Amino acid sequence: MNPLRVLIVDDSSVMRKIVHRSLSQAGLELAEVFEASNGVEALARMQETRVDLILSDINMPTMDGLELVRQLQSLENAKGVPIVMITTEAGESHVVQALSSGARGYIRKPFTPDQIKERIIPLLGA
Amino acid sequence: METDLRREGTKPVHLILSAQSSGRPPATSRLSTLPREETRKELTGALEHGAREVFEMMVGTALGSADYADLPRVADYTAMIGLAGDLCGVMSFRCTSASASRIAGLMLNSNDPVPEEAVRDAMGEICNMVAGSFKARVMGLADQCMLSVPTVVTGKDYQLHSMANGERVHVSMGFEDAVLWITLDLHM
Repeated sequence: MNPLRVLIVDDSSVMRKIVHRSLSQAGLELAEVFEASNGVEALARMQETRVDLILSDINMPTMDGLELVRQLQSLENAKGVPIVMITTEAGESHVVQALSSGARGYIRKPFTPDQIKERIIPLLGA
Repeated sequence: METDLRREGTKPVHLILSAQSSGRPPATSRLSTLPREETRKELTGALEHGAREVFEMMVGTALGSADYADLPRVADYTAMIGLAGDLCGVMSFRCTSASASRIAGLMLNSNDPVPEEAVRDAMGEICNMVAGSFKARVMGLADQCMLSVPTVVTGKDYQLHSMANGERVHVSMGFEDAVLWITLDLHM
């Protein structure tokens, strides 16, 4: 697997750092990690950058993660890029809503690096 | 919940946090049908186990038991998050400044002093995750209770007054040599 370019979207800078560290602890080789604190910032970043994976929180100010996923569907740079939601909201309806919006995976906070690995590796292909 | 921010020589400042914001009758869940003591026991257990899970997985430390049953009059850091839906209320997480800095440092895997902004951010995230873990443990709440964005109050010169007019569920837990307090003020 080639080193990954990843976009991490979360309004908490502490959580962005934890997700970044967890990706490394999960054994994923990272080429570049971009950060955004809400959906609007993430969309702007995705208009100028291509990444291999997007990890996004749901509850964020300005634009939440579900709206971000919907808007990414029409963005050329995001086509085929797996989006995984990382959120405290773990109810079945939240998972269904996220997956039906276009997310490919769902991770509940709190999480371990092993859980990150289990959910993400299958989405990245060989 | 009402937060009374008192400063010497100034008028008190009141911050009102609504305990019922869903616009629908609260406590319509299975919990409202249980005997009071059973409800308290279930909520207390969910709070305690939720906090333990968050600290083990995200802070990398195990919480112990604490003997202090009483809430402190004030704490240096109070993070609060609103719950709305089948359970309406406010969950608060309180600790000292030293504990907050230590928790943020552990979350960031940093031995250096953590900037104040990151400490506040960490406290908000801890509160958010404990609330999420709590509601995932109470049957029927995961889908029927929404969380607000967390609010963090810092400083010692304030008092918290619950306006929830319902149950208060409270746990105190040991973090290294200090105590953390987690309170759920419910509108029932």
